[in-house]
Formats: sequence, C-alpha cells, structure tokens
Amino acid sequence: MSGNLSTVIKKYLSLYKAFFKASLVADLEYRLNFVFLVFAEFVWYSTQLILFEVLYRHTSIIGNWNLAQMRVFIFLVLFVDSIYMILWDPNFSSFTDNVRKGSLDLLLMKPINSMFMLSSQRISVSHLPCFFITGAGLIWALAQLPDFNWYKLFWLLILIPSGLSVIFCGRFALNSTSIIFTRADFLQYIWYSLFRLGLRPDAIYSGFVRIILIFVLPFAMVASIPARMLLEPPSYWMLAWGMILPFILFYLLKKYWNYCLRFYSSASS
Amino acid sequence: MKTSFIAFWRRNLALAELGIVTNLEYRFNFIIDAFIQPVLTVGIEVLLWLAIFRTAENGLIGGFARENYLAYAVWAPFLGRIAISWMYESMMVEEVVSGSINTILTRPLSFFEYYLSQTLGYKVVTTVFSMTVPLAASYYFDLPVYYDRLPLMFGLVIYYVLLVHTMSFIVATLGFYLTRVRSFTLLKNLTLLLLGGELVPIDLMPKALAEVLLILPFSSGVYIPLAYLTGRGDAQLLWNGFFNVTWALAFCGLLSYVLWSKGVKQYTGTGA
Repeated sequence: MSGNLSTVIKKYLSLYKAFFKASLVADLEYRLNFVFLVFAEFVWYSTQLILFEVLYRHTSIIGNWNLAQMRVFIFLVLFVDSIYMILWDPNFSSFTDNVRKGSLDLLLMKPINSMFMLSSQRISVSHLPCFFITGAGLIWALAQLPDFNWYKLFWLLILIPSGLSVIFCGRFALNSTSIIFTRADFLQYIWYSLFRLGLRPDAIYSGFVRIILIFVLPFAMVASIPARMLLEPPSYWMLAWGMILPFILFYLLKKYWNYCLRFYSSASS
Repeated sequence: MKTSFIAFWRRNLALAELGIVTNLEYRFNFIIDAFIQPVLTVGIEVLLWLAIFRTAENGLIGGFARENYLAYAVWAPFLGRIAISWMYESMMVEEVVSGSINTILTRPLSFFEYYLSQTLGYKVVTTVFSMTVPLAASYYFDLPVYYDRLPLMFGLVIYYVLLVHTMSFIVATLGFYLTRVRSFTLLKNLTLLLLGGELVPIDLMPKALAEVLLILPFSSGVYIPLAYLTGRGDAQLLWNGFFNVTWALAFCGLLSYVLWSKGVKQYTGTGA
C-alpha cells in the first residue's frame, strides 16, 4: 500500500518536473516577451503597494492596522498570489479554451488524474522573480515590527496552503462550470471580482460580510487571517479552520468536477 | 466627396453594430462584464473608503469629505472599464500574428477603422447599460456629482478611448516584427491602470508625482473626468485633459503610421 503510494507520488513528481522543464523552455523561447511579462507583474504588484502607501499618507489606521502592519498583509497577499500564479494561473486561463475547442478530450484520456493534468500542465516561470521579491518584502515588513516573534512564521506552513486551496478550488470550480455553458468568458470576470475580496484586509468588512468571507467564500483565508495570526495574538479556532478547510474544499470540488463532467459531450460541449 | 463620406459612415456604422451585436450575443457574459464585475469592485472600494474614514481626523482627507471619495469610488471602476482595451486589442494582435489579417487587408477599409468602429460600438453599449449603476447610486445616496458636467466628461472619455485604440493598434503592429506580443498588452494596460487614477485619486499622491501624472495623457481616462464630475477639479483641468490626449494622439498616430507602413511592407501574407 505504502509502496503504491510512493510510486504514485514519484510518478506525479517526475511529471511535474517534465512540465516545469517544458514551461521553462517555452517561456524563454521569446525572451523579450518574457522580460515584459516579468516587468508587467512588477507593475501589477506595485499598484497594490502604492495604493496603501498613498492612503497611509492621509490616515494612520485602516481597519485596525497601521502602515507597518498593512505592509505585512500586502506582501503576504502578493506572496500567496505569486505562488498561485506560478503553479496554476496559466492552466486556468486556458481552461475554457480546452473545453470549447475539444482539447479536454485528450487530457481526460491520459492515464493520470484529470484535475492534476488540467491544473498543472503549464508553470508560469515569469512569476518566479515576483515570488522571491514578495517573499523578501514580507520578511522586510515583519522586521519593521517591534518585538515580532519569528516563530509565528510556522503558522504560515498551515495557513498559506489553506489560502492556496481556497484559490485553487474556487478557480477550478468556476472553470468547471464552463463545461455546462457554451461560452464562459464571464467566469474569468467573476473570478477576478471575487479575488479582489482577498486583496483587501478583512477588517474593512464587518458583521455578516466578514463571516461570509471566512466561512462561505473564504477569501479571508488567502492573506487576512494568516496576517492576523502574525500580527495579533493567535486564534486557535482560526488555525483549526485553516487546517480543516482544504479537506472540505477538495471534497466539494471533486464532487462538483464529476458532476460537471456529466455534461461534457466532447468538443464544443 | 459626399458619396465617399456616406460610404465611410455606413461602413463604420455597420462595424459598430457588429461590435454591439457580438457583445450582446452572449447576454450573461455581457451582464457580468458590464454590471456584476464593476458592482463588486465598487462594493469593495466603498467599504475600503468607509474603513479609512472611520479614523480620519476632521472627517476630511486631502481636503475632501467622505461623500467625495464615495462618489469617486462608485464611478471609477465603471470609467476604468470604458477606458481600457483588453478584448479588441487581443483580437487585433491575434489577427496580425496568425496572418488572418489578410482577410481585412483585401477589403476596402483599413484595419484601424475596422476595429475602432467595433470598439466604439462595444464601448457605447457597455456605457449605456453600465452607467445606470453609478448614476442610480449617486442619486440614491445623494453623492456630490455635477450632473450637468456629464456630457463633457463623456466627451473626454470617448476621446481618450480613441487614444487607447491607437495604442492598441501600435501593440498589434508590433506583431509584424515579433512573434509574441501578449506581454505588451498586459504591461500597457497595467500601466494605464496605475497612471490613470482608478485605484486612488491622483490628488492624494505626493505633489511632485501628481503633477507629473497630470501632464501625462493617461489621467484623462479616469481621474480628470471624475475630478471634473465630482467637483475635485474645474473646467480648466478638463481642457488640460483634452490637450494632453491631443498631443498623445498626434504622437501615437505618427508612431503607428510608421510601424504599420514598415510592417505591412515586410509582411509575407501567410502569417507574420
């Protein structure tokens, strides 16, 4: 049993290595395009940083965080976003095309997990510089906090994967819906709107909306709750929720994916 | 002369109609694009500004009250949607890179006007439908909006769309010289987002930076029209916006002419 598991893990790791090599070669083939992509990502991340830097010129507190605390949140959200962009975004962006043009047939027939194949074929190498820079930015922002307990960073080992599971399952589920509809560009629009909820600190939402963002559409788990765990006294029920959430989300996603596949009737379904 | 103008007008009207019909074909897509996405964005930005004003001293930020910022937050995402081009620019780039531009080159119309009219048709239909939301919100919450300034404000936004389309044309012509130009679209649009004032009013930025941004034409897409509409700026600011777009149009027009002429000459017709 354990032998089987290790064989499966080895198989997927070797596949992932092959995907990475292929993506690296593909991305570096057009070097100018690659440089501009990297630069564009820096512009996008800068917009998020500049927004709050400008706002804090005119106020000292937003929600209940000062500028130093808000920087931790922003760098954390950008760090998590960069991981998501590296691992999954190019695959999800071409998901609806795969459905519409019928190339999903080919992916479904391969002798590996279809969800893995659909979500991991392409790796965005152009986001790697952003990953390192936002990671360094997070460390810098934490170093600005007086008496920060660096052991708190261990919470991120649980909470970042939890936040990533929210992004992965949310986007995968929305994309799966494209199997049901004919043209589903709107799913991308919905995703970008929903994802904006996670780009702002949860302290700006109050009451019912905040509860929804923690438990129903858990975008607060992307960065707000992890940032709270770093900046405030630990909330153990939040940590427990962060551990349970990925299991619930992946269970629901698998059910929904199988449901959507029932509607698939090959090309242009 | 008169006949040729009528032919030009009819041709472009048909193309604008094509842009409208294409986008209304999938209504659910259209509703999400024109309503739901900007409404969600407005909701988040309004909540952010309310949170900021909870701790603002004197109830003023940068000399303006909460309602001024709410008005800005309600309108900015809608104007931002109009003043940017993702879909048509991607289509233009694809035409050049894939070689399907051949079908347009052989017709008695230019590639520029073929997509300009479609873009304007799309922008008009999006504007007509989506503007009901900020208008209704401004009226219902009694936000500081000068309704008599709407026509001139839209005049500047549409003029700015002409500039944005010219920039899209430049990006598309780069397809004659390079195989992959997708990153140019991404970089251009993100830069417009950053410099246009959609995220935060430009007058809140450091003075030196704000002055530079106001000289650039990009502030004419969101900040200047909104400043004029909500009373943050006067008519002088609006005319500066028109002026900035004019020189930028002249510059981009010249650049696009050079790139297009050279590009078409070396284009082989079976794909760039």
